Amino acid sequence: MSSNRMDNGAEFKVPIGPQHPALKEPISLRMTFEGEIIKDADLRLGYNHRGIEKLAEQKNYIQNLYLIERICGICSHSHTTCYAQGVEKLMGIEPTRRGLYIRTLVAELERVHSHLLWLGVAGHEAGFDTFFMYTWRDREVVMDILEIISGNRVHYAMNTFGGVRRDIDEQQKKKILGSLDLLIKRTDYYKKIGTTEPTFVARLAGVGKLPKEKAIALCAVGPTLRASDVPRDVRKDDPYAVYDEIPFDVCTANTCDVLGRTVVRIKELFECYKMIEYLLKNLPSGEIRVKAPRKVKEGEVVSRYEAPRGENIHYIKSNGTDKPERLKVRAPTLANYPATIEMLKKGFIADIPLIFAAIDPCICCAERMIQLVDTRNGQEKVMRMSDLRKWSLEYYKKNSIDSKNKEAIWPF
Amino acid sequence: MKDNEIIDKIKGSLKNKIAEITNPAARRIFLKVDKENLLSAIQYLKELGFVHLSTISGVDKGDVFEILYHFANESCVVNIRITTPRNAPKIPSICAIIAGAILYERELQDMFGLIVEDIPDPRPLVLPDDWPVGAYPLRKDWKFERPPEIIPGEE
Repeated sequence: MSSNRMDNGAEFKVPIGPQHPALKEPISLRMTFEGEIIKDADLRLGYNHRGIEKLAEQKNYIQNLYLIERICGICSHSHTTCYAQGVEKLMGIEPTRRGLYIRTLVAELERVHSHLLWLGVAGHEAGFDTFFMYTWRDREVVMDILEIISGNRVHYAMNTFGGVRRDIDEQQKKKILGSLDLLIKRTDYYKKIGTTEPTFVARLAGVGKLPKEKAIALCAVGPTLRASDVPRDVRKDDPYAVYDEIPFDVCTANTCDVLGRTVVRIKELFECYKMIEYLLKNLPSGEIRVKAPRKVKEGEVVSRYEAPRGENIHYIKSNGTDKPERLKVRAPTLANYPATIEMLKKGFIADIPLIFAAIDPCICCAERMIQLVDTRNGQEKVMRMSDLRKWSLEYYKKNSIDSKNKEAIWPF
Repeated sequence: MKDNEIIDKIKGSLKNKIAEITNPAARRIFLKVDKENLLSAIQYLKELGFVHLSTISGVDKGDVFEILYHFANESCVVNIRITTPRNAPKIPSICAIIAGAILYERELQDMFGLIVEDIPDPRPLVLPDDWPVGAYPLRKDWKFERPPEIIPGEE
């Protein structure tokens, strides 16, 4: 961190965070400001280290499947799929085709619910609460679909080694396709929202800039990376499950800002719907799983998965017993932190909630304490995240959005 | 680029710096190099188009620590493997070449007690502030002991 500079008294230091029980990586950000402008941001994790990697070495493979599921509540299926397909390779078993189709179906439904959730959060942080309420209401539709399939809304527990645990019947299929029509109709409306709500577009454009070269150098992943015009997607580059046989496109945007990240996620929603429809209509018949051995022979595997937030990677090393020698998990949010710091620099205090939300770390859902220290007189001001949000909305009411931003175009 | 083309290119350029190169599965290459050759191997991979570092994994193998750098691009995942002895657990920092490696290197320092030389930012990252010094949880000889439960008012 560059600055404990107190000399000219023009800099503020603002610690943000750290506690949030819902995240694998609770985060504390220490920001330095000069006036309204963010000069520097610094990061500290470790407030809620759960020791899952250590714990995984003490549990057997099938127990770990349910442990891994609990790394995250939003992308629980991402972690189990990544882990399960790695262990399947080590075991030398081939999951059934029907199993893989159902696994992919749940993965795409999960992406839909995660992206709808994110759109709502983005709307909320931008002061567009109607949008937030709409998307979260529609998210219930996809949550219901997931409940129809798995019996659960959050931890689906669908994966097992060699396939999935629950089958889908004709009646469920019909129900899901019906709900899907509603979702497509609603998302079509969101697609048009930018043309009817130019202030929303103006608020997002130019915020949290992440140039293409920086995005690549800082190893960003997922929609954050794709919004900086880098068409990298594990589903296309390193196809797992059945992604090599279902039709979809990688969605990108070239504006490198929060607007781009919104656009990428809306585009991806449509790709998801396309895939879900294809998967349901082409669901092969047969068994949903094969029997898996208890012990795993010695070996190592690198398994990758495109979670809603980006590349998820597991490194699994086995030693011939029923417990892994080592399980390394890297969730996408960690990979996006260096890029987030880059995005925050040169931004405004009022943009912090929006930029935070844009990498989809669920941090802004939390009530967080913010301490503003005025270095000129040593006065401290404590702000909650919700107050910061309120303040940020006021700020933009007073200081009208740049005229440049008003010309920002909704690209649909 | 196909896997075997990548292997040929790596072999052609790094020559005797390679200790071992294997291709156990499609789109997975494991390259073993000596610690001294790590930076030149990563520099070459970057020129080859492997600019994205997915993560760095550490493994405790008893006398040595094994460190794997997982690089990925649109055609393949190349995993560079180095080892470092337990009694002198030092590895070079790769942040000068791959800026995004910083968090993974800090994580290695916390979890395995490795010393990453020339790391731009050596502060702890993933463990709590009051974590005891010298306790490295992912080392195999580190065991978690639950502190004894004390019920107030009971003997």
